[in-house]
Amino acid sequence: MSHPVSISVSNLTVRFPVYGVDAKSLKKHLARVTVGGRLGSSLAGATEVTALSDLNLQLKAGDRLGLVGHNGSGKTTLLRALSGAYEPDEGSIDVHGRIAALLDLNLGVDPAATGYDNIRLRGRIAGLSAREIEERMDEIAEFTGLGPFLSMPVKTYSAGMQARLAFAAATAVEADVLLMDEWIAVGDADFQKLAHKRLLSLVERAGILVLASHDTDLLRLYCNKVMRLKGGIASPVADIRKLDDLLAA
Amino acid sequence: MDTATHMLRTGQRGALFQVNMALRDLRSSVERIGLAWSLASHDVVARYRGSILGPFWITLSMGLMVAGIGLLNAKLLNVAVPDFIPFVALGIVFFGAISGTVTEGCDTFVGAAGILSQTSLPMFTFVWRTVLRNLINLAHNMVIIVAVLVYYGFWRKADVASAAVGLVLLVANSAWAAMLVGIFSARFRDVPQIVQSLMQFAIFFTPVFWLPERLGSSRFVLDFNPFYHLVEAVRAPLLGKQLEPHSYLMLALMALAGWGVTFAIFTRTRRRIVHYL
Repeated sequence: MSHPVSISVSNLTVRFPVYGVDAKSLKKHLARVTVGGRLGSSLAGATEVTALSDLNLQLKAGDRLGLVGHNGSGKTTLLRALSGAYEPDEGSIDVHGRIAALLDLNLGVDPAATGYDNIRLRGRIAGLSAREIEERMDEIAEFTGLGPFLSMPVKTYSAGMQARLAFAAATAVEADVLLMDEWIAVGDADFQKLAHKRLLSLVERAGILVLASHDTDLLRLYCNKVMRLKGGIASPVADIRKLDDLLAA
Repeated sequence: MDTATHMLRTGQRGALFQVNMALRDLRSSVERIGLAWSLASHDVVARYRGSILGPFWITLSMGLMVAGIGLLNAKLLNVAVPDFIPFVALGIVFFGAISGTVTEGCDTFVGAAGILSQTSLPMFTFVWRTVLRNLINLAHNMVIIVAVLVYYGFWRKADVASAAVGLVLLVANSAWAAMLVGIFSARFRDVPQIVQSLMQFAIFFTPVFWLPERLGSSRFVLDFNPFYHLVEAVRAPLLGKQLEPHSYLMLALMALAGWGVTFAIFTRTRRRIVHYL
């Protein structure tokens, strides 16, 4: 790799329109156009929400950032913006390194397909070639610990089993930047141990982890830095030892 | 591996920047066309998983439809079966390819919500997924086309090269329509219903089940039916007839104008599509 792994976010603002039921209706939209439009509403029925405002963040190789904040404070929006799904309205995001996002358990998962097929599908989405996936299949299959269940449709899996599959498939790609939302906690104790090992190896490879969670123990376990989001406004990045101060503030 | 190891996203920088981003989306989707292919073939295999015939159910159900409608309508309309069956077979298969691409186009982005909301994959990848999936279906139906053309002796006068040109025009036009309805379906939930009704309406007003000659002096109305030109572009050469030059002109213009409008709308909505979902 020519450039070390890094994340550089400056003055990031993400706004998005929230389309309610009314805004999704073509009839109401057309009616509004024909009666001359509502004053000052360029989005025609959609409410605009500022999910993140003027956020700055610098992360370098080996950093593990924990994101804390209430529901709706912008944690997931930040993760989605870092994954490249949401584009900034202002400011910029610059990520050097291969990104693996574990935000939604259902990424590219076809519930009727088998575990093996889903690993293939996810691998392709993550950028592996069909051959690279077959080469790693045994290793991924073993890591999921699902054994014969991998030949069964994913819809028969429990939430924990789905998490195992998703986590195994996502981390099988040698990602430099791992973005994770909360749900890692769904696995059982065995799986947590395995996940722990894999996350440590990511850290050893000098990757970057960004983890959003409400679980302070989990954050203390994996992260060395922490940032608090409140209504889309971020606190400065602090050392994980200041977590309690940050939460109390 | 073919994913970028560097991602840079910046805020709004005016119209030209948005055009560049839309072009970049298109370019990277072409570079990763293998991904669209994997998704499309997975879709087809997944749909028929566990069935004995697998994807050849496409062929079988199409064959039944062609035989049934061909024989029935030949009788009702009083035309010779050996002329009518090939006509119906080609019509149903190629109209089906257009309407399949466009109606499934509605689900292009909505169906990819999970992927789009946590990756930076190009939007166009999902358009190609829809198009390729329908091309795979079409390939399964080609079995019927070949069988019918050989059986009724049309293969000697069929002009395959012209039909291939026609097919390119058909796909180019269906693809922009699929993308356009895909964007609108994400934003407005009424659109899939509208598209479905329109396609149902179109199949009866396009000479698929009936011969255009039957319209007599009103035949000129067909000139205003884009579906007629699209189907005819592939059907006529395969039946040994020549397509009128103005049809080619019209289809080429339609593809250009359609892609122009679709790309302009995509440029405007690209960064918003993920929020629509």
